[in-house]
Amino acid sequence: MKAIPGISRREALRLLGVVGAGSLLGAALPLKARSLGSARVVVVGGGFGGATAAKYLKRFAPSLDVTLVEPQRRFYTCPFTNLYLGGLRDFESLGHDYRQLTDHYGVTVVHERAEAVDTERKEIRLSGGAALSWDRLVLSPGIDFRWGELEGYDEAAAVKAPHAWKAGPQTMLLRRQLEAMPDGGTFILVAPDNPFRCPPGPYERVSMIAHYLRTEKPRSKILLLDAKDSFSKQGLFMEGWKENYGDLIEWVPRSSDGRVLRVDAGRLEVETEFGEIHRADVLNVVPPQKAGFIAERAGVADETGWVPVNPKTFESTRVPGIYVIGDATQAAPMPKSGFVANTQAKITARAIAADLAGKAPPDPKWANTCYSLIAPGWGITVAGVYDVHDGNLREVPDSGGVSPLGADRSFRAREATYAEAWYAGIAHDTWGTRPGA
Amino acid sequence: MKKAVASVRAWAGRRGALALAALLMAAPASAARSPESWDRIAPARELLGDAKPRAGGIELRLPAVTQDGSSVPLTVRVDHPMEEGNFVEALYLFASGNPSPELAEIRFTPLAGEARIDTRIRLDGSQTVVALARTSRGEWLAGAREVRVTVSGCNSRSAGSVENLMEVRVRAPDRLRAGQTGDVRTLINHPMETGLRADAEGRVIPERIVRTFRVEFEGRTVLEARYYRAMAANPYLLFPVAPERSGTLSFFWKEDAGESVTAEASIRVS
Repeated sequence: MKAIPGISRREALRLLGVVGAGSLLGAALPLKARSLGSARVVVVGGGFGGATAAKYLKRFAPSLDVTLVEPQRRFYTCPFTNLYLGGLRDFESLGHDYRQLTDHYGVTVVHERAEAVDTERKEIRLSGGAALSWDRLVLSPGIDFRWGELEGYDEAAAVKAPHAWKAGPQTMLLRRQLEAMPDGGTFILVAPDNPFRCPPGPYERVSMIAHYLRTEKPRSKILLLDAKDSFSKQGLFMEGWKENYGDLIEWVPRSSDGRVLRVDAGRLEVETEFGEIHRADVLNVVPPQKAGFIAERAGVADETGWVPVNPKTFESTRVPGIYVIGDATQAAPMPKSGFVANTQAKITARAIAADLAGKAPPDPKWANTCYSLIAPGWGITVAGVYDVHDGNLREVPDSGGVSPLGADRSFRAREATYAEAWYAGIAHDTWGTRPGA
Repeated sequence: MKKAVASVRAWAGRRGALALAALLMAAPASAARSPESWDRIAPARELLGDAKPRAGGIELRLPAVTQDGSSVPLTVRVDHPMEEGNFVEALYLFASGNPSPELAEIRFTPLAGEARIDTRIRLDGSQTVVALARTSRGEWLAGAREVRVTVSGCNSRSAGSVENLMEVRVRAPDRLRAGQTGDVRTLINHPMETGLRADAEGRVIPERIVRTFRVEFEGRTVLEARYYRAMAANPYLLFPVAPERSGTLSFFWKEDAGESVTAEASIRVS
């Protein structure tokens, strides 16, 4: 993968997401008013994928009846939770409500949990007991955890050793534990094997926690026990760790016995593959994952736990009429990121609108950018563009890249600013919310 | 809760602890390929001669899609007895789409208890991984599994150097009942240079491979492996052992640059 030499090309690439959306809007679909007008689309999950899908379905085909099912009235994003953990943001700044979707875009939002899917009757049952029928169903259920696959790590263990891999009470629990940790303590993060939500996430997390500890508890240590031998933006992270934190962060790869096979949450201990015991003062376990449970209920997940999809439309390969987007899907080489879920949602909304209008789906291109903050004023990125080639998803050759190694501080500072701007932009695109609003 | 003891970090082995912990295993891929895929692999054809392998009986587990072809988890299990006079004698693995398809050759004895391994392999693009097994009665079994390898900037691997060259780790089950099969885990830090890659100045880095790996229990062979270029860096092998009595496992690695290393681990059988 080549590094992008200058910032200008990066900026052009970043715009691609926005430009892509704009051109989608510009391509006015010739609507068949009757078929579209009577069509009902139910979207499950109000995160980056689901909220974007609901909004863009209404924008592409205003006559559609679109219902978004999301239990939370206020959705907290996983992106930027690490900044909260590092003390750079307050938790409420990560929350987004659905008022813009209902008031401005005409989406019906139901704050219940989707419990079951009847694919024969095309109905979804909600936690309140009611059923919703659909002509097209979009699932954007995010991830669930494979409790117990990592020995000793179940829901009860997560109360003592949080995962904090879904934004909410777990994230705040981890922050409280860090605040209560004595100076000189050891923070351990256990990172999973691929695939998992947010590939750079564990590495940004230890960066932000390193910032907090260096500031507040400078005698503390960070141990990152990894089931992998390599990770996203590895060179950039390791350079940034050294520059900002010296040897505060110790990364133990799989080949140095970093793979954890057992967790004892009561004792805050973990045991590695070759039998080493590590004891933490604060233990953060990112467990193995799978598609959100409604994907299993709908019968769209396969034996890997993830959802195979038609690459062009993200319609399930198993159940026609159900579209699945976001972290739940097998969309490699696209990463499981909020940015990807947002662009998948737009492509899929357009494919559904086209399908209901009796048209073929357009040729899609998706984009991704993942920002990571290593320290305040020290940002890095990876970006890519994806398409369908020979029937499979691929990263378009030479379409993306990562920040250059060895760039000066002003370069890193600009990328940190772009990260903030990215968050504001994608939150506005997804929920219609603005920071501080 | 089980108790654990110190790991084996150095040149000489010590005893590991613990029975099996749950393996973070990749689920089986959905697309099983017709076993005739071995027909397209020259060294496999050579091996078979006129023999016609029986399809089925070998289960391969690989991720259906992987973003990191340099270290793909692979599990192979041969469904066949492991008793004196009727056991799986050898397992041959091939990465059909690699520049040289040979991956590993593993010889078992009944002392292994089962013919099963976990390892990490290198795949040069999407392809079919093929396994052939020969029983002590001269029968051949075959299995194959397709895997798609995608290139992703998000998970790109930085070509790092391997630290602690020839450092080994082993872990054997601490305690077994007589006749019970337990898992042994082994790892050696080694770059497994393919001889196909150039350094920053464009000079080809010579081939350097951990070539052989042998395991004995009280002087009797449990397993003998021969590794090729398609084994991932830091060769990892998990395999079973079924000792009838307490004793010591001895491990021997040898690389083609001439270095060798050994380790030991004891097992108590009650």
